[in-house]
Amino acid sequence: MSQPRVFLVDDHELIRSGIRAEISNAVDIIGEADEVDAAIELILERLPDVVLLDVHMPDGGGLAVLSTVQAQCTNVRFLALSVSDAADDVISIVRAGARGYVTKNILGPDLVDSIYRVHDGDVVFSPRLAGFVLDAFSSNATGPAPRGVDPDLEQLTPRERQVLRLIARGYAYRDIATELDISVKTVESHVSSVLRKLQLSNRHQLTNWASTRRLS
Amino acid sequence: MTSPLTSPIPTIGVPQRPMNRSTSHALVGGVCAGLAVRFGVRERTIRVLFSLACLFFGAGLLAYLLAWLFVPRWGENDNIAQRLTHSRRESHITLFSLLIALVALVALGNYARHGTGILSWSLFLSAVAIIAVWFGSSRDEKGHLESVIGAIPVLGTASARGWRAFALRVVPGVVMLVIGLNVLGHIGGIWGGAVPAILGAGALALGVAVLLAPWWLDSVRDLSRERRERVRVEERAKLIAHVHDSVLQTLTLIEKAASNPTDVVRLARAQERELRQWLFSPDNVGERDNANDSFAQQLRSIESDVENDYGVTIELVVVGDCPGDAGIAALAAATREAVINAAKWAHVTRISVFGEVETSLVNVFVRDTGVGFDPAHVAPDRHGINHSIVERMKSHGGTTEIRSTIGSGTEVHLSLVRVEIPV
Repeated sequence: MSQPRVFLVDDHELIRSGIRAEISNAVDIIGEADEVDAAIELILERLPDVVLLDVHMPDGGGLAVLSTVQAQCTNVRFLALSVSDAADDVISIVRAGARGYVTKNILGPDLVDSIYRVHDGDVVFSPRLAGFVLDAFSSNATGPAPRGVDPDLEQLTPRERQVLRLIARGYAYRDIATELDISVKTVESHVSSVLRKLQLSNRHQLTNWASTRRLS
Repeated sequence: MTSPLTSPIPTIGVPQRPMNRSTSHALVGGVCAGLAVRFGVRERTIRVLFSLACLFFGAGLLAYLLAWLFVPRWGENDNIAQRLTHSRRESHITLFSLLIALVALVALGNYARHGTGILSWSLFLSAVAIIAVWFGSSRDEKGHLESVIGAIPVLGTASARGWRAFALRVVPGVVMLVIGLNVLGHIGGIWGGAVPAILGAGALALGVAVLLAPWWLDSVRDLSRERRERVRVEERAKLIAHVHDSVLQTLTLIEKAASNPTDVVRLARAQERELRQWLFSPDNVGERDNANDSFAQQLRSIESDVENDYGVTIELVVVGDCPGDAGIAALAAATREAVINAAKWAHVTRISVFGEVETSLVNVFVRDTGVGFDPAHVAPDRHGINHSIVERMKSHGGTTEIRSTIGSGTEVHLSLVRVEIPV
């Protein structure tokens, strides 16, 4: 199996070199950028499989890179990387189309694993992101769904909630499959479905929620 | 003789010679201050006399400029007139210029007589003298003159923006002023009174506005810049204080503990948490009364305490929150025990803690992927699990479930029925 072609976007040289050192054996790093404009240009030119994207950058941050590139090319997948953990940043980058979110203190092998998952079209939820999503879709906050919106998009199924809780408890996909007695593929499809709901749902709680609660 | 930089202070009633133009007390050319020293009187007296003399057809101005040209500056050997006629070439240029000025004077003579008479003669001569002063003055004096010009509102801001801007603004401004004055002078006659009065006053006002606007804008801008600057400086001071108190101290500790990886990780994590707290929820910083902490806050303090004490990383996720009460406190205490057990016995570097507040239940999961143990084989007198966790939960109507597999890890599930309705 060929290694995924990875592009690094982060404005801190130190972080980039750290990430490079941890993953360069397992993936093919085809470029990096430290600012928004350069990142957009290089990504569109080289078309990597996976972009590791820092959420916090000057000039609009990761969100600007993500939305500009996605508007022109949907084949590039994004994995958001951040130290901030501010819920609104994370939710907005995932809603904008990132296929996953991990924190920068993630261990090297876990990061490589996440990159491969994103490359394969799967979704990577860190425990923290799972917590944010559970909070955003919290049953306490349910109001009447806005008109014209598919009500199915406004709620997570019990199974999806179960999967998210297990992720938040620190279970790997493999462990979740064992625990729920389902296949890893099924776990992945649940997570993808949660991501889709997160991106398509426009209920106001999702946007309001982040600004009223800051859980980190 | 004193040094050139300090001209003698006039001692009242004691005349001093030779006369020099003052450098240290000069407002413009230093003539008045120089005369004050020469005749042993106050500078102000001379200045008032010159000002009064100006009223006699500009005689004071002319006299001042003549003195400026012919009296050497303090510490300089030549006066300006001498310097202008120093070399053969320079004196030729000066002679030629004077000739042109003379021709111009004669040509303007008729106009001058019809105009304001002798006043325009003295004004014209003064202008010539000022130009001569500018070209003949030493480099040191030019510097002084430039700072004088810079202090004048209209000229100063104009020259700071470059002479082009000056020409573009001052010339139209002056033209507007002259037009305005002329129109006002023609009030009456065929134009009547009202129209020229309005037009003239308008032109005058416009001229003044064009001349003074940049100066006014500059001072307004300076004021707001100053205010911004002050705010920036204050914020910077606050930031520096915080970075010094926390980050720098920690970095020093890390340098000292460089040989001990566990300590380094512990210090870095503690600093990270503190910084994160400061950056993202600055309101919560400071000492709090633990008993009144909410569920999430209690879990967070467990996270930081255990990370500090045992050098492990705790992945804490909290969903929802509720105010603290006796039940929550017991749940938190049991959670702390469970986390410490994992940190002590599981031989792992990462522990997951997940807390969720639901409508009727509060759940906490503490999970590690460490060595595991067999719950059936724990001695009944081991307080860690039995007393501190199971009994504590039971006394508040909660339950404890421990699942552990040797070799693959342990998970403790604590569950508490909520007394209060969620907020």
